Amino acid sequence: MKLADIAQVIRSKNAGPRRLTLDLMFATDSDYQRVTQSPALSRANIAALYAQSIEDVTVIPYPVGRAIKIVLARPIMAGDPGDRDVYGAQQHAPLLGLEI
Amino acid sequence: MSASARVLDEIRRTRRPMRFLGASGQLGYGIPTQAFEAGLARKPDLIGCDMGSIDIGPTYLGKGEMATAPAATRRDLRKALLGARSIDVPLVIGSAGSAGAAPHLEATLAIIRDIARTEGLHFRLGVLRADMSRDMLRASVRAGAVIGIDDMPALTEQDVTDAAHIVGQMGMGPFRRALAEGVDVLVAGRACDTAIFASLPTMLGFQLGLSVHMAKIIECASLCCVPGGRDSILATLDEDGFELESMAPQRKATPVSVAAHSLYEQADPYTVYEPEGRLDLSGANYTAVDERRCRVTGAAWQDSTNPCVKIEGALRIGERAVLLAGAADPRFIAHQREILPAVAEVVRELVCEDTPEDYTLRFRVYGVDGVRMAAPVGEAQPGEVFIMGECIAPTAERAAEVVRTLKQYLLHHGYPGRLSTAGNLAFPFTPPEVSLGPAYRFNVYHLLHTADPDGLFPLEIEAL
Repeated sequence: MKLADIAQVIRSKNAGPRRLTLDLMFATDSDYQRVTQSPALSRANIAALYAQSIEDVTVIPYPVGRAIKIVLARPIMAGDPGDRDVYGAQQHAPLLGLEI
Repeated sequence: MSASARVLDEIRRTRRPMRFLGASGQLGYGIPTQAFEAGLARKPDLIGCDMGSIDIGPTYLGKGEMATAPAATRRDLRKALLGARSIDVPLVIGSAGSAGAAPHLEATLAIIRDIARTEGLHFRLGVLRADMSRDMLRASVRAGAVIGIDDMPALTEQDVTDAAHIVGQMGMGPFRRALAEGVDVLVAGRACDTAIFASLPTMLGFQLGLSVHMAKIIECASLCCVPGGRDSILATLDEDGFELESMAPQRKATPVSVAAHSLYEQADPYTVYEPEGRLDLSGANYTAVDERRCRVTGAAWQDSTNPCVKIEGALRIGERAVLLAGAADPRFIAHQREILPAVAEVVRELVCEDTPEDYTLRFRVYGVDGVRMAAPVGEAQPGEVFIMGECIAPTAERAAEVVRTLKQYLLHHGYPGRLSTAGNLAFPFTPPEVSLGPAYRFNVYHLLHTADPDGLFPLEIEAL
């Protein structure tokens, strides 16, 4: 099953101009548990998906919000020349097709 | 008696719970009237509006311009001012004019003074400035008191000198000073959004952890609800927790929706760093009062032993001009990765014949890799693409020269297998070259360690 078929929310946004934060939210505790236990969201997998080094990837489970947070370093600071997404709001697409 | 003095006095006497109205998370983009009026009817003790953010990028800070439209900004300010004055409670506005530097603050104040004149309003206006002294910053750089945030390179004295504007993000201290002086309306330059709401209750002995947690949620209006939205939100704070209720009936503050809001634009859902300390949400509890109200308890606060202020600055890096064009020829699209650099080289040879290469030229090919920071290779070829060529040059004339030359040579560039010899591009309109004015980047995004952070933000009081 793909992540887009399980999650209620898959979104990205800046957390300050140098970090990107991706939030995954789920409608039920069982959906949340299923995804947190899946190897698809390992730091190594996320690093590969976003062409980043594994040290720049953080994955934080947040059970009280039935959510998982991923934090990445932005390759280009928000608004610097060459930036493609000043708010960072469209960087979630690579996660949609992840097989859980 | 000023509104802030009246509220401080009343709560000191009665020790009752306090009510806060989060009127807008981005003043200038519209305050829905019905929910705002429903909030006024609940007689809040303070109305707060956040007006700015760093998310909008460096250009507004650098240029000294608001991101919101003047007419919409005025409409929202008028609504908030008339509402707050009608029930005589403090109106607190943070990060005035989108970026909170002197020109943003002045533009906001000019609108407020004009509304006061037009509406016949008289009030005490507190103004908190957020511009940082360059001498102080250079001395702080020399003293090693400035540290980059999230691996930002070390700040230099040159960075400080060159930045168009540098602001500090004030915390609760300056707000408290103004509220204690007695104000009806308080307008702050760049500020922590939490300080808008948390300064007043923490002057009265309400818990710091709860007050800051409440503030962090309601500064976004009803965004913490399902469905989330811009409508005003009411928070009622007591000694053990706070209750949230959207002023729009269709928006429900549920335990999960409110808890999930802690994720928003934060790198760590359990910790929020403020100038005065650290909000710890690991013990926070969210319980349903009923279907659309949520009670929150358990947030803790840790005072900082090393106070600091976040500073933000923008540097002008040149003038920007862009070329906007589409393409639908499959052969052109298949070869765009070779065509674009080849044309950039033709342009360089032409425009640098008698002038040094003093500009940068970049492309985004929408449909291929215009959006994603790491687009995968080997995706199916799109039927159409949109191409943006972006030049940053020392002058507007030079940037325009580069994109105009680019337009002509990209339109007519010959490549192997080309069939469409009359032109490679579709222009949605002419001219397809647009001059966008000065370009900026953030050259300051640092923490300034200082013994007296509150002293950096002077207060002025004006009687209108």
